[in-house]
Amino acid sequence: MWLLQSMLRNFSLNLTKNLFRQQPKPLAGDWLIILIGVISVIWMFQQFWQTAPASQFKIRQGNHIIGIFDLNQSRDLSIKGAKGESQISIQNGKVRFKQSPCNNQYCVHQGWLNRAGQVAICLPNQISLQLLGAKNAYDSLNY
Amino acid sequence: MIRSIIKFKASAKNAINNRTVLIETTAEDHKIAQLTALAIGLHLTEAIIPSPLPGVKPGIANIVTLYVLYQYGFKTAAWVSLLRVFASSLLLGQFLSPTFMLSLSGALLSLACLWLTQKLPSKYFSAISLSILAAFSHIAGQLLVVRFWLIPHTGIVYLIPIFSLTALVFGVINGVITTKLVKISPADDVRKNF
Amino acid sequence: MRLLPLFAFCLLLTSCTSPEPIHNTQSYVFGTLVDITIYGESEEEAQEIAGEIIRDFQDLHNRLHAWRASEIKSLNLSFKRSNLPATVKPDVAAIISDATALSIQSKGAFNPAIGGLINYWGFQNDELKPIKIDDHKINELVKHNPHMVDIAIKNGKASSSNPHVQLDLGGYAKGYALDSAMQTLRQHGVRNALINVGGNIIAMGKHGDKPWRVGIQHPRKPSAIATLDLESGWAIGTSGDYQRYFMIKNKRYCHIIDPATGYPVTDVQAVTVLIPPQVNAGTLSDVASKPIFIAKPNLRAETAKEMGVDNFMVIESDDKIITSAAMAKRITWTDVATAKYVTQLQP
Repeated sequence: MWLLQSMLRNFSLNLTKNLFRQQPKPLAGDWLIILIGVISVIWMFQQFWQTAPASQFKIRQGNHIIGIFDLNQSRDLSIKGAKGESQISIQNGKVRFKQSPCNNQYCVHQGWLNRAGQVAICLPNQISLQLLGAKNAYDSLNY
Repeated sequence: MIRSIIKFKASAKNAINNRTVLIETTAEDHKIAQLTALAIGLHLTEAIIPSPLPGVKPGIANIVTLYVLYQYGFKTAAWVSLLRVFASSLLLGQFLSPTFMLSLSGALLSLACLWLTQKLPSKYFSAISLSILAAFSHIAGQLLVVRFWLIPHTGIVYLIPIFSLTALVFGVINGVITTKLVKISPADDVRKNF
Repeated sequence: MRLLPLFAFCLLLTSCTSPEPIHNTQSYVFGTLVDITIYGESEEEAQEIAGEIIRDFQDLHNRLHAWRASEIKSLNLSFKRSNLPATVKPDVAAIISDATALSIQSKGAFNPAIGGLINYWGFQNDELKPIKIDDHKINELVKHNPHMVDIAIKNGKASSSNPHVQLDLGGYAKGYALDSAMQTLRQHGVRNALINVGGNIIAMGKHGDKPWRVGIQHPRKPSAIATLDLESGWAIGTSGDYQRYFMIKNKRYCHIIDPATGYPVTDVQAVTVLIPPQVNAGTLSDVASKPIFIAKPNLRAETAKEMGVDNFMVIESDDKIITSAAMAKRITWTDVATAKYVTQLQP
């Protein structure tokens, strides 16, 4: 076992040594591009991997769970609440309150939701949309 | 190669008059045909090797494109690249399929990028830079096709970081290999198009 | 690159563990959303306890309502008519007493007696509409100078020396409800729970083996701007200009009114306070954020100190964020880019 391992190690070491002999050195401009590339990649991980994109969301009316719906579709739902019907629009990965019978329209103003943990609530109509993810970033939201 | 097409047209006229058709090709044309074949070969090899995530590939066929850019200029590189895309898709039975569209969009955008950046001073920017930039353009082209046509789903932003990382890593690797190849090839008619 | 599918697989595995003994109830009480999470009790027990808490909330809501027929409304009527002292139940008397003490502590910034002003601005309604702003009328209302100290309670009866005292416990009741819920939980022997009343949260115990984690809402987006761990007994409260407001020509008028000027505060988007474990932690989490919201920028730290608050955060209208040194240690920004807007105060 040991012999085999050391043989393999030697072989790979030699291989890499040969490969990396007289390796072309990156020029000044290359380093710049590489640096920009690294920064961009890190930024992208931070931007897009901060919160998990949600694939499902839960609609609640009062204390009842109306259902858990897939975000991967394009359709409109009509949910009856305490004040009337709220229109909920699902569009390929995002969901929002399209219309609601409330006066202040805070729920509609929340806009599109697409990341796990996001919530939009129509208080007067007692309807809440909650986006679900594999892991929740927090147990409850303070507002 | 363009010259050979013109010559072909000329000899086509002759063919109508029942004369033998002679397509004259230069040594350069041969070289380019060989490189295109190599590119197609590399593309096919890559297509067979499974990748952990669809779209995550080393893109080694692009080494050929870059090499041709340095040796024979942009027009030729474009030919080689697009020929590779079309021929590979035909050989794989994927012509006009979504895979082909992805390949094509990636190739088009990276070519556009190369066209823009080929004039970068070679004192400061070697093939490594071009390779990285072209790689990013390639994935950008593919992600655009995915987002607006294949899977119009906002969730695909989740893939952007991974694709960018592979573009960066393989961009560097392919660039280094290209630089090495360009160095060890005949230096006489190198960069006559710059 | 080969590690990626392995990593993803492991992530999937973590969600395949056996279900947690956690029960969650959502209800619309107190004119707002109430979320009760109980950990470590059986489904039936948890449901029963949550149900009791909800019923208590409903009861409190009805009794303390600022503009519908309630014990508070009756009191306000008798104050207005300068009637003979009106009967007041012991717990309401205690609430008035406590609110008075807090009002004095905040030097009048927290003033539940300005129901008249709140009504004028239209905030004593479920639905909010823009009003026609009459500066004279507002001035008049301010001049009436209603204060909690105008109320006297003797022998179970309350009277006011100032007929313009109109109680509105909007900035107090949610916090009070949290404390009352904690009592109910303790009575039932619950060790781990998280209660959210209209955004105000109090924690008991832990979420299994890790502390309860709460998100703090971004003032302008439906997502969290930050998260922090809420240890057992701690309470968190936020006053925001995005909770109840109306717009007139792109100008925002929120429900937090400065009693001194009679106008809503316009230079702050949100104030969050963290209250350490104590008897009325919940109440304080509701009350303490208001004086800080109203205070002038250079007096905020001092005001926080006066209210006994070490952990607070202010998000100004220009998106600048100011955190106390203690708060900064606890907060994790959701987006690392937020950190560049943050100024940390010196301890």
